[in-house]
Amino acid sequence: MSIEEDPEGHEIAALGALVSFASARVLEIGCGDGRLTRRYAPFAASVMAIDPDADAVAVLARELPAVEARAIGIDQLILPSQCVDIVLFAWSL
Amino acid sequence: MVDALRHAHRLVRSNGSVVDLHPTPAVASVEVGGVATGRVEAGDAPARHAAAGAALTSVLDAGLFAVDGAVDFTFYTYGDTIEELRDHIEAHWRHGRIDAGVVERTHHALRDSPGSRPRVREQVRLTRLRPCDRA
Repeated sequence: MSIEEDPEGHEIAALGALVSFASARVLEIGCGDGRLTRRYAPFAASVMAIDPDADAVAVLARELPAVEARAIGIDQLILPSQCVDIVLFAWSL
Repeated sequence: MVDALRHAHRLVRSNGSVVDLHPTPAVASVEVGGVATGRVEAGDAPARHAAAGAALTSVLDAGLFAVDGAVDFTFYTYGDTIEELRDHIEAHWRHGRIDAGVVERTHHALRDSPGSRPRVREQVRLTRLRPCDRA
C-alpha cells in the first residue's frame, strides 16, 4: 500500500467547504507533484500550477496534461493583473 | 512570504479569493491507533509555519486582504511500516526526522495494536482571503 497522504480527504473537504473551483481560473503556487492539484483540477475551468522543483512539476505535467505546469517560483511568474479567480498557496507560504 | 501575497493580490480578480494552506506551528506527531508514540523532529518547520501566519497578519494589517473564512483540519500521512514513514519524512520534509526512540515505541505500539498502520499527524489551517484596497 505504501505511503498514503490524507486518505480521509480532510484537506479537500476543508477546501470544498470554503472554496468553489467550479468554472474558476486557478493559479496554484507550490504545486509539487500535483498531490492536491489532481483533487480539484477536474472542476476548474483552467489551472496553472507552479513550483521551483522541476522534477516534481514534470510528474504533475505527465499525469495532468490539462494543467499548465511551470517549474518556476512566483517571483518569476509574469501574468496580467487580475487574471485569475483563485490563487492557492499549497503549503508554500 | 509577504511579497508572494502582494503578488497574489495583484493577480487575483476583485471578486476572487486567495487561499492559503499551511501547517500550524503545533508539533507533528507519530501515532498508532490514535495514540501518540512521539514527535516528528521538524527542524525549523514550526518557525517557518509561524512566519507564514505572521505574513498573513501583515497583509491583513496592511489592508490588502480581508479574511473570508478559515478552518483547521488534521492531515494524516500513513505508512505500512514506521521505517517507511521515517524514510518518507526524511526525503520530503526539510530537516524532518523521526528519532530511533520514536521508531522503537512505534514498534511496541504496533505489536499491541494489530492491523494498525503508523501515521504522522499534522494540524493544518486553511484561510480564504478576499482582496481589498482596489482602486
